[in-house]
Amino acid sequence: MSTDTQEEDQGGGVSFEDRYGVTPAEADHDTLLRMIEDMFTEGLKTQLEPFPETDREFSKLLDDLRELDVNDLRQKLIISGWKLSPHGEDEMRCQECMYFLVHKRWCDLPELDLPAEPEWWCRLWRI
Amino acid sequence: MANLLWLQGGACSGNTMSFLNAEEPSACDLVTDFGINVLWQPSLGLELGDNVKSILEKCISGEIQLDIFVFEGTVINAPDGTGEWNRFCGEPMKNWVKKLCDAAQYVVAIGDCATWGGIPATAPNPSDSEGLQFLKRAKGGALGENFVSKSGLPVINIPGCPAHPDWVTQILVAVASGRGGDLTLDEFQRPKTFFSSFTQTGCTRNMHFAYKVSTTAFGQRKGCLFYDLGCRGPMTHSPCNRILWNRQSSKTRAGMPCLGCTEPEFPFFDLAPGTVFKTQTVMGVPKDLPTGVDKKGYMKLTAAAKNASPAWAEEDIFVV
Repeated sequence: MSTDTQEEDQGGGVSFEDRYGVTPAEADHDTLLRMIEDMFTEGLKTQLEPFPETDREFSKLLDDLRELDVNDLRQKLIISGWKLSPHGEDEMRCQECMYFLVHKRWCDLPELDLPAEPEWWCRLWRI
Repeated sequence: MANLLWLQGGACSGNTMSFLNAEEPSACDLVTDFGINVLWQPSLGLELGDNVKSILEKCISGEIQLDIFVFEGTVINAPDGTGEWNRFCGEPMKNWVKKLCDAAQYVVAIGDCATWGGIPATAPNPSDSEGLQFLKRAKGGALGENFVSKSGLPVINIPGCPAHPDWVTQILVAVASGRGGDLTLDEFQRPKTFFSSFTQTGCTRNMHFAYKVSTTAFGQRKGCLFYDLGCRGPMTHSPCNRILWNRQSSKTRAGMPCLGCTEPEFPFFDLAPGTVFKTQTVMGVPKDLPTGVDKKGYMKLTAAAKNASPAWAEEDIFVV
């Protein structure tokens, strides 16, 4: 895991700071949102499966997320299986997830703590 | 005057400590205002050794009328059903319990251990513990399914870990003042007056429950503790948010998830790692839903609540 926030790579060899003028930890809501969307536009693939069926599996993902550097946004999205559209037959999405604050448009799960849109999803989804 | 005898089996004395904090009425009020004569109690009794044994024998023989027998803690059967691991006054406690229950007008089990085994009876239950008339959900226990005391009532179960002191003193007053016949008990022999509503009833976080806003970490004053931190308030029968603890607060009001300690399964999931303070889910849906709500209804309710949720529900509104 990288610990040097200045060198944190946002994917294409360019640091977040070079591209956005701030690191993810310093970014405001809109900038963070743009960082996330840009990474997906540029082809970011995240780990959608397996969905954590049990709490032990769920906790393992949280443990992995806790180990990340505060600016390692890319790994955060990969591990959590972030996705910019609803998921599965049931069309699961942030809007119904209990961690999603609908007015703040924010994922309140402390290990993620990121802006989110109602139609997005991740595999830490819980209702 | 009603004679009361209180003994402890496999117990931590937590229910005695709770009892001594009673306020409405207090433990002293039982004696001064309600005519209860405490024959002996482990923390209050003055007698020691043979003098205690003499009291027990007189209660069994009928020389002293035993109106209320209160038992706290489990009935210990180990090793090999003998009960020798818990001896009292020269013989296994389980023998005293059986004889005293047969002699008593009313038998009252205080706390989870005495009602259905509680923590000591959690698997693998090394002390072979059980409650007076239940082992967890299974009826029977130490006295058997068909036991009734001389009053005609089965054991009156006042569960909790510990039981709220005022639940204890109010029930003792009811039986001591001849109103035991007015008590109605639920399927687990808990007085309905206390155990028909839910822990959630009266919880200050109910607005957050309704709008599906979760507390995601300890210390947050916003949010409901059910969704993430394992609160069992919506599934647990107790008046913890109606008859407040220390007349001040409750677990959930203070930000502590309800552990469901008035239900026979407590402690839930046999305390397996990762099951305490964490809502158990299957594919993202809580394993235990609020009583009376099915999965489909729960999901519909969540979608509707999230859509209707006001902005203030996401804020800490408990500003000092």
